Amino acid sequence: MKLQEIADKLELTGLTPVFDKDVSGVYISDMVSDVIANAKAGNLLVTVQVHANVLAAANLVDVAAIILAQGKQPAEDIVRMAAKHEIAIFTTALNRWQVATKLYEIGLR
Amino acid sequence: MSQELRRPRYEMVDVQPGFVIIEKEMYSQAARAYFSAEPAPPKEPYREGSQVWSFWEMAQSVRFAVKDTESGEVTRFDELLGLVFYGAADPASDLYQIGDLAQESKVSIYVAVTYEAPDGSRLNIAMDKIRLLNRFFNERLRSRDKKILILPDLFGLYRELTYGQIMLDFGLVSMEGAASQQGESA
Repeated sequence: MKLQEIADKLELTGLTPVFDKDVSGVYISDMVSDVIANAKAGNLLVTVQVHANVLAAANLVDVAAIILAQGKQPAEDIVRMAAKHEIAIFTTALNRWQVATKLYEIGLR
Repeated sequence: MSQELRRPRYEMVDVQPGFVIIEKEMYSQAARAYFSAEPAPPKEPYREGSQVWSFWEMAQSVRFAVKDTESGEVTRFDELLGLVFYGAADPASDLYQIGDLAQESKVSIYVAVTYEAPDGSRLNIAMDKIRLLNRFFNERLRSRDKKILILPDLFGLYRELTYGQIMLDFGLVSMEGAASQQGESA
């Protein structure tokens, strides 16, 4: 499923350009070490963590995009860095559980 | 954009959750870190010769090994404290500027930072292990033309780093302030 399609269906707010990427699954975590050990390339990363190290971990494992739940807002420099590395960042007021269920409903596994 | 699905040659194995314990020496205020896999990390001060070390901060982390599925060889990375993303470095630093240039060619630079030995010196990480880390992370990338380049800390970067710049889990929401002090060991 394409990133843009997911963003549209969940009505996510994009903080960066939406890059043309295929999404292959979802990983939900707020821990950098967990993301490095368990997230997979092409996953959507759902988190409330806005520290730069989450972007560093997301880039290392090549996630397709980051969805910040519960309205979390990253600093401007993190948004710029994410755009430079072609990792889209979205925000939503939904919590992680709500994001997960909606992603499941639209067919992501 | 179709992706070739194949079993990766390298797998992360023996992933052991634990804590990076950062301790400070009472008199010199030197700091050093070590990995503890104990469920309740030790926090009691202890004496080491004329020095007294006490708990200062801790972060959740993992210790892991990488398995080469072709040869069956398993390589442990117990000396690896963490990776530093160039983007987390000071924009005026050599690391940031090199990383910024490399990123124009879609190469993302990370630096492998190791734990301190008991005498305060940095543990060495063999270049073969750095190569293995690079192969492990690069073979699972999907984005076209993207590369990861993990470097050893050839420049003594650890002297300038804070523990907060290393990819460690100091807190679930924010680690600002929790680990903002210098990570010097000497």
